[in-house]
Amino acid sequence: MGSERFEQRAVISGVGQSAIDRVVPRSGFQLTLDAVMAAIADAGLGVDDIDGLAMFPGGGAANLPGYANGNLYEVHDALGITTTWRQGQVEGMSLPFYAASQAVATGQARHVVVWRTVKEGSAARLAGGRPAYGSTHPEAEGPLAWLLPVGALSPVCQVAPYATRYMYEYGVTREQLAWIPVTQRLHASLNPDAVYRDPLTVDDYLGSRMISWPICLYDCDVPADGSTAIVISAVETAHDLRSPVRIEAMAGVIDGRPSWEQWEDMGRVGYATAAAMWARTDLTPQDVDVAQLYDGFTIEAVWWLEAMGFCGTGEAGAFVEGGARIALDGQLPLNTWGGQLSGGRLHAGFGHTAEAVRQLRGEAGERQVVGAEVAAVTNVGGIEAGAALLTRW
Amino acid sequence: MDASIGIPPAVTDETEQFWTNAAQGRLVIEHCLACGAESFPPRGMCRKCRGRSMSAVEVAGRGRVYSFTVNYQRWLPDLEVPYTIVLVEFPDHPGVRVIGRLRDGDPQRAAIGLEVEVGFEPGPGGFAIPSFAAVEGAG
Repeated sequence: MGSERFEQRAVISGVGQSAIDRVVPRSGFQLTLDAVMAAIADAGLGVDDIDGLAMFPGGGAANLPGYANGNLYEVHDALGITTTWRQGQVEGMSLPFYAASQAVATGQARHVVVWRTVKEGSAARLAGGRPAYGSTHPEAEGPLAWLLPVGALSPVCQVAPYATRYMYEYGVTREQLAWIPVTQRLHASLNPDAVYRDPLTVDDYLGSRMISWPICLYDCDVPADGSTAIVISAVETAHDLRSPVRIEAMAGVIDGRPSWEQWEDMGRVGYATAAAMWARTDLTPQDVDVAQLYDGFTIEAVWWLEAMGFCGTGEAGAFVEGGARIALDGQLPLNTWGGQLSGGRLHAGFGHTAEAVRQLRGEAGERQVVGAEVAAVTNVGGIEAGAALLTRW
Repeated sequence: MDASIGIPPAVTDETEQFWTNAAQGRLVIEHCLACGAESFPPRGMCRKCRGRSMSAVEVAGRGRVYSFTVNYQRWLPDLEVPYTIVLVEFPDHPGVRVIGRLRDGDPQRAAIGLEVEVGFEPGPGGFAIPSFAAVEGAG
């Protein structure tokens, strides 16, 4: 275990969200301000306490359909603050609080707000369906130059071959995988902010239309409009904070080829990250009370269950089958807000982090997991993975 | 099936040789003149020995499907669906994987381990895109 764990010099002090729905008729900029102001108040701070700002992604990816973070400097201007640290980032964004934790741990700032704003629900409506990745660009650049021209036009068809391979190698079935979206929908029914709250059955899942085999409609997260902001504070300010949450350990490792079609086996995308994270703590998978595991697709939550050691490789199908183990009263309550599959695609682990904080504070309302003291949070964006353990103050 | 609806690649100094050869029906990868390792996509550097002298060699033999997906979603107006996307590896070129379409129209034909021939078909923007065909009798 590292004796110098910078993440323990940082805390998550606040979380805030705008209205979240398939379509919210407000600009992304206003949603951002809604979330930022809510997060600052939630932390017990004033706007003038904020001296760092960060958003994911930075300007480079802002022109993808429905990426609605706005301009960091315009948010800065609206808040009327002075900052000593800022960041807009795509590469290296393994977790929403990763870089901000480094900033407050090293004294570059005391209270950093980081946000992610999506208007992908609105963008999907405008496009007459979920837009193709990169469809607003005349040409496919970087790693996408190999994917888009052959028709791998969405992360759905980019991740699907690895789901095919995983199911082939381990004999995992769609009937088993169905229990993740079905159970998460049950959780969403207890979350007033979730996008979809009506019951979902295994039969509904098996009867839904195929998007890119073997990934069906209910395996895909829900494009939504909404903003999530998180405040990261230096641990020495804890006495000023309403209800901070500790960052016990975190890591983000890339050990495979950083492109969707070249990763040797994307089912292993989280393994090195999880191993590095566990090496930074004395806690073990058995200590985790609640798991917020990134679920852009069902299969990503499957891979995280295995990578984090909650079950063995190839065993996640049996682990989730029937839903009991991942229910609110099960051994590992999974994505208790509904996850992105039902709660909405808030992206990049922001929704997962907000829910972990609420669970650890005991502020999760009807979906509260009794006695939640340790939460796992993971994020993955194809090749960029992050994992953390958060603990009650 | 028409594969020309879509988004063409941006061509860079590193990828120009690939697309130029593709237009002539040749699938080329990088070959390291120092250690002989092969790699793809082209980076101008050997991923094994970090040598900077790379030449292009053609992949001519058959490949095997590592995995696949059948895409049913019309991501863009006029996109013809369904079509099959395959990740293909080559027994004679270890460490090389190429993504492309499976040219045979029948989605039921796709399978892990399927033996395929290298080929191309007209893709977006007039580019020839990798497009593999199942070897007759394979399956």
